[in-house]
Amino acid sequence: MPIVIWQLVFFVFPLIFLVVMSFWLVINYRMVPGWDTVNWTKMYSKGYFWDTYWRTLAYAMIATITTTILAFPCSFALAFKVSATLRRWALFFLIVPFFTSYLVRIYSWQIFLNDNGIFNRMFDYLGLGPFHLLNNFFGTLVGYLTLCLPLAVVLQLISLANVDRNLIEAAHNLGCGRLKTVFLVIVPMAKIGIILGAVFTFILSFGDFVSPYYLGGSKPPTLSILIIDTTKSGQQWPRAAVVAVTMIITLLTIMFASVSAAYRKKP
Amino acid sequence: MPNTSEARPLVSFEGVTKHYGTVAAVHAMDLDIYAGEFLALMGPSGCGKTTSLRMLAGLEEPTEGEIRLDGKRINEIDSADRDTPMVWQSLALFPFLSVRQNVEFGLKMRKIPSGDRQQRAMEWLERLEIADLAERDISQLSGGQRQRVALARSLVTEPRILLLDEPLSALDANLVVKMQGVLSRLQKELGITFVYVTHSQSEAFAMSDRVVIMSQGRIEQIGSPKTIYRNPTSRFVADFVGSNNIFCGTVSKEGATLQVNTSVGCFSCSPDNDENSFPMGSTLNMVISSDLVQISLTTPEAANQVRCRFISEEFVGSIVTVFAELENGADFKVQVRQRDLADLGLKAGAVFYASWKATDVHLISESA
Repeated sequence: MPIVIWQLVFFVFPLIFLVVMSFWLVINYRMVPGWDTVNWTKMYSKGYFWDTYWRTLAYAMIATITTTILAFPCSFALAFKVSATLRRWALFFLIVPFFTSYLVRIYSWQIFLNDNGIFNRMFDYLGLGPFHLLNNFFGTLVGYLTLCLPLAVVLQLISLANVDRNLIEAAHNLGCGRLKTVFLVIVPMAKIGIILGAVFTFILSFGDFVSPYYLGGSKPPTLSILIIDTTKSGQQWPRAAVVAVTMIITLLTIMFASVSAAYRKKP
Repeated sequence: MPNTSEARPLVSFEGVTKHYGTVAAVHAMDLDIYAGEFLALMGPSGCGKTTSLRMLAGLEEPTEGEIRLDGKRINEIDSADRDTPMVWQSLALFPFLSVRQNVEFGLKMRKIPSGDRQQRAMEWLERLEIADLAERDISQLSGGQRQRVALARSLVTEPRILLLDEPLSALDANLVVKMQGVLSRLQKELGITFVYVTHSQSEAFAMSDRVVIMSQGRIEQIGSPKTIYRNPTSRFVADFVGSNNIFCGTVSKEGATLQVNTSVGCFSCSPDNDENSFPMGSTLNMVISSDLVQISLTTPEAANQVRCRFISEEFVGSIVTVFAELENGADFKVQVRQRDLADLGLKAGAVFYASWKATDVHLISESA
């Protein structure tokens, strides 16, 4: 019972309030409760809203694909190629980043990525560059990876560590080469962890404000930046709520689709 | 039963040793396996039987020695390229594939076209009487059905040898007997070699042409089930077979009929099929199989007899194993027909006499 109350107070009620607020009006910079669909029609008729929506979706997708591909060799090596001791230490170091504020970690990237930063000094020394690594999508992606990669590795690792070794041997024994076994047996067996890692990455990067703002330079905006901008311009909290509710619906749809794909039996 | 002296072996282990760190799992193993035979590797857990099988499957590499398949060294050949399919104790079926897809897996790896693949998979499913389950998930099958899927998956590529690692150990007792029948019949029909690892004597004896008894990484004895049962060559084998009474003694009279002095009495022994000679004073193990012992309530006339106190009985159908205690406290087992025991009306603590013929004794020298 306490968990139900906790969920109601801290999750369901604020969410209902957010939906209700999207129908309120702003008159003379003040919110007035009401039931008007004007916020929805206004937001949905604007080209920049949809541009931002598809851009954010694309960013999150690219982050998800990049994270999943980069995380897999790492979690695979930790699950199959290293000793149990090394695996425990690696797990520890994968969790350590979460001890530090995400904002602090993102700020520290600026020192590495800016035009006079550590990376460009190194490139300069090699006679290369300068490369613009900050205030563009590359910077945003670095931020997304900082946020999501350790988590994706941990989730994949848990799944991979539980793959029955006999199945891998059985595949070899039936004539399946090593690389083929990875895709035909190990990936299907670890499907749930891989998909969960991807879903978390998508959720975190779709809603992230810090990376596109501090490393991506906030232009062009993502939906999270659009929310901030909307609240700042004329106290349009109800229209910001429209963006927020749209994001939540998008995330819920993608989450349910992926999780049902993860637990579906046949490939 | 193949002619072991002339035919070239299909598989041979030559001085094969496997170390895990400092522990030797298999030690200098020499073994020939012939085409078309049903060979059981048997022994207690940790004896090296599974390691031997895994080396043959290419899942472990020998530390020393050579494994040959058809005369060709296969030590370095990857399991994927060996064509030595194995059936796992856990069966290792792919849970994300249907029954048919599981069976097709090996054919797919050999790049057999889809239509052909499906047809061959279905033929094997029919042969194992599970064709109606082809599109099911593995999780929907019973233990016996999974067993059949695992067999079909390994046999669909028509290998010359099938390796089985305790495949029946997870099944109910009645299903074990049924699957033993399926395996024996399959092996005879296909005429291919089965190498079967088990710790169960009944499984090994019921199905195999030859049994290899292993202990601590070494082969103790190789022979037909009957030879292993009647003529164990070491005390370990005599003990492992489980139904033997073994007494250590010394020879007190030489000749065709020996007199052997043991802690439970002096017995005359004239084993008819032993090449070993036992000189005066040598120590040996006297083995009396519990099914060659007669029991009575009165002192029998036979020369070899012991007085026993009845402790308990274990009923396994028509045959009963009687557990008794000798006067010096040693254990003694007798297997009798249930009816014969009922006629005697023995109760716990009752005294009876066990006797056996001098020719039914089997002798093993102490060093073996």
